[in-house]
Amino acid sequence: MNTPARRRKWKQRDIAPYLFIAPFFVLFLVFGVFPLGFSVWLSLHQWEPAAGMSAMRWVGLDNYMFALTDPWFHRSLWNTLWFAVVSGLPQHLVALPLAYFIQSRLKRSRNLVVGAYFIPYITSSVAIALIFATLYSKDYGVINALLQALHLPGDIDWLGDASYTKPAVAFVVFWRYLGWNIVLYLSALQIVDNDLYEAATLDDVSFWQQFWHITLPLLRPMIFFAVTLTLIGNLQLFEEPFILVDAEKGVAPSVMTSAIFMYRLAFSDGDFGTASAVSWILFLIIAALTWVNSRLFKRAEDHDVSR
Amino acid sequence: MSRAERPDTARYIAYALVAAGALLLVSPFYFTFVFATHTRSAIFDTPPPLWFGSAVLGNYDMLLERLPFWRNFGMSVYVAVMTTTLNLLLCSMGGYAFAVYEFRFKRALFALVLASMMLPAFLNMIPSFMVMQFLGWIDEPRALYVPGAAGALGIFLMRQYISSGIPKELIDAARMDACGEFRIFWSVVLPLTGPALGTLGLITFINSWNNFIAPLIVMRSAENYTLPLALRSMQSPNNTEWGTLMVGSAIAMLPLLIAFFFCARRLVAGLTAGAVRG
Amino acid sequence: MIKLVSLVITATALGLIAHSAVAQKTTVTVATFPDLDRAAKAAVPRWNALHPNVEIKIVSLQYSDHHTAMTTALATGSGLPDVMAVDLRFMGKFAEAGGFEDLLKPPFNAALLREKFVSYTIPQATNTKGELVAMPTDIGPGTLLYRKDIIEKASVTEAELTKSWESYIDAGKKIKEKTGAYLLADAADIRDIVIRSGVKDGEGLYFDRSGRVLVDSPRFERAFELGHKARQAGIDAKVVAWTNEWSTGFKQNRIATQMMGAWLAGHLKNWLAPDTTGLWRAAGLPGGTYASYGGSFYAIPKKAQHKTEAWQFIQFMTVNKETQLESLRVLDSFPALAEAHSAPMMDEPLPFLGGQKARALWRDIAARVPAIPINKYDAMATDIIRDEFENVVAKGKPVKTALADARALIERRSRR
Repeated sequence: MNTPARRRKWKQRDIAPYLFIAPFFVLFLVFGVFPLGFSVWLSLHQWEPAAGMSAMRWVGLDNYMFALTDPWFHRSLWNTLWFAVVSGLPQHLVALPLAYFIQSRLKRSRNLVVGAYFIPYITSSVAIALIFATLYSKDYGVINALLQALHLPGDIDWLGDASYTKPAVAFVVFWRYLGWNIVLYLSALQIVDNDLYEAATLDDVSFWQQFWHITLPLLRPMIFFAVTLTLIGNLQLFEEPFILVDAEKGVAPSVMTSAIFMYRLAFSDGDFGTASAVSWILFLIIAALTWVNSRLFKRAEDHDVSR
Repeated sequence: MSRAERPDTARYIAYALVAAGALLLVSPFYFTFVFATHTRSAIFDTPPPLWFGSAVLGNYDMLLERLPFWRNFGMSVYVAVMTTTLNLLLCSMGGYAFAVYEFRFKRALFALVLASMMLPAFLNMIPSFMVMQFLGWIDEPRALYVPGAAGALGIFLMRQYISSGIPKELIDAARMDACGEFRIFWSVVLPLTGPALGTLGLITFINSWNNFIAPLIVMRSAENYTLPLALRSMQSPNNTEWGTLMVGSAIAMLPLLIAFFFCARRLVAGLTAGAVRG
Repeated sequence: MIKLVSLVITATALGLIAHSAVAQKTTVTVATFPDLDRAAKAAVPRWNALHPNVEIKIVSLQYSDHHTAMTTALATGSGLPDVMAVDLRFMGKFAEAGGFEDLLKPPFNAALLREKFVSYTIPQATNTKGELVAMPTDIGPGTLLYRKDIIEKASVTEAELTKSWESYIDAGKKIKEKTGAYLLADAADIRDIVIRSGVKDGEGLYFDRSGRVLVDSPRFERAFELGHKARQAGIDAKVVAWTNEWSTGFKQNRIATQMMGAWLAGHLKNWLAPDTTGLWRAAGLPGGTYASYGGSFYAIPKKAQHKTEAWQFIQFMTVNKETQLESLRVLDSFPALAEAHSAPMMDEPLPFLGGQKARALWRDIAARVPAIPINKYDAMATDIIRDEFENVVAKGKPVKTALADARALIERRSRR
């Protein structure tokens, strides 16, 4: 009586996970695999797309060699890594404690405050380009006016002087994605036991200790998720430098990320083959860094358990 | 006494900092609405207008003259709602499977999910167009919501959340009660994932709403453009009606704001999860 | 009364005809981008009156979105419109690619039509095989717009501005000293024009016919040196065109001159600096240079569905004098059709330019702009030259080294 029923259930349990993940893989097969294969194929060819499919010319690994030895590509990689660290790291260093603070200390104003931090993420990129150009303006900008009021040098050409352009753009990236990380951490904080906060409010000394010793370890899966997303996102950074620093501007190369380099190769140089090769090189770099990141998280976890 | 005062001061400073930060964050959003009420000449003034002007009706009229705006708006809503609904269902399923089951090739399959997020999208334009052409989906809204219906990001998010937030004992208990696998997912696990679903719904909605590359690939008539593509189509390298563009951008941001406050409620709804756990 | 009745009858009859024709109505798809789309939209009512059976469907996308979408369509040979608008910047790439009909061949036979256009536009639309792949619709004769009030305050004359590049820069120093205003927005503007002056016959801007890179020639050396000199003299405002700082510079009387296509006057009047009406004048570019800014074209893809109608529409947009003048009226876009240049409108005084009959000046400039052959790598070379110029003006890199590096980079990218 018991056995067939159990076997049936055992079987169902065996198949279930595959059924649950099937939609992703079916869609990936239909919509993802061909473009990927095409892009690998393309990276081995010289191709000006406007000339049609027949214009593809086999060049083997030439595009990869070209990219790897190209001074502009090296520069773009450096810029990309710079942005990944400078605009990425502070997002988490600020978002984590801030989310903790909001979760434990704000009650009624909570949604409003979170909303305020989240708003940059939904502000249209046209508005961002227009408004930051105004804020960063050398002669008329609010930022320089503030600096002058504080008796600091206030005639900085933020978006026109190569030594300031990068930090100026990095700030916008930080500004835009901070709230997004706060929301991620807030959603994860919901499952951290609520009693913790009530206990914590009793004694302010232990407030941040609680955060450090109890909350942070519990948040680890979400931190891993959020950091991975930032890593992947920042290594593909395109929009913010692209809209803030006009490609016609002389300083544009100082914020040329690898994604922008790829875009220029494809749409300005008409060299889709090399652009594809660059995208695969970039993919390998992102994958490697993500792997390292996951190792680091894994090791920290093991360390915790052994303790 | 002094011990009681100190944390108070610290708290006020913290509040002030949070508020000042929030103000800095909101200003571009605010200026979108202010600029929407000015002519482009005024927007390009120095200093730019800080308060609302009177050109909003003129801007709005021109918006309707240049674009089938509300039709584009409707298209955006349709695509974003479809994408979000599909993602909420399919990603929580996928994330659940990766979080609680042990099965063959699990690690490799999950690595594939992750890897699919790392590929730059815009070089796929030409092959993606070919796929859509092959399927006959050119100029069809389904070409916008079906391919991304089970996004990798969502699966990743749900996996992380379920693996840290849903106790395994709960699932085992449900199994003891002879629940089917889908039933366990649907009636036991899903109700506990409120905060994650809220976050996922929000991300998916926003990403779909702001996406212009996918519609650029498939949409071939102005009535079928989604909002970002339509608004971009008013931009000229040297003659953009900024005021009109700002009215469009401001209206386009409102649904996102609504989506946020709708989902923000979910972010606290998950408190029950903690209760179950305790 | 009778008139009214007959009108009604005619209207009804026309309605009937239109109705019976619905079945065989053709739709011509025109893929375009702003502001060019507005020229087409403005022309549609007149087109409909002439061709009730051919409906025009205008599909407009943002400038770069449009050219990206068209690249995709040409690559895959599907989803192509009947009429494709192409900006000059993309003509080099698209013309060589072979995706367009040769308009010199039957049934188009545009050989005779070529004579009707401002002469420099035809080589821009002709590829290395000698095929005419597109028809020009608007042009941008290069002009120097200057603020009469500011230069007078500095006791500088128009002749000083235009005589030579050296005197242009010297005038700038005087203007800066006496009025505090900058001579121009960006020193790079000087570079862009000087590289266009004295291009030898048959040479392109960056490449000669055989594809040899020309960027270390004296033409570029001079352009870089003059631009550098202007930057060092502190007479450029270091602002990029089409930003709010640029517009503010004009509104607050801080920029005295601007070199640009003639259509800039319209934008200044409409929104960039509407309060400066009457204060501007137009002149030729300094140093007797003749150059043009941009230009738009219409082409027929080889895989278009309705080529006959598409060709009719292109002719309606490009060789129809009335359409060309309408675009001038609505958009300030300067006609490519030479015939339109003799219209009375061209001799009207322009109030924004203090009543100057500037269109006549621009017409003369247009007639003297040399024909410079295009190359598919022009856009890439432009990027590299821009970057190396920045190295010179911002980091003090020697001009010769910068140009040698530019040459190496361009060769590396074009000789593959």
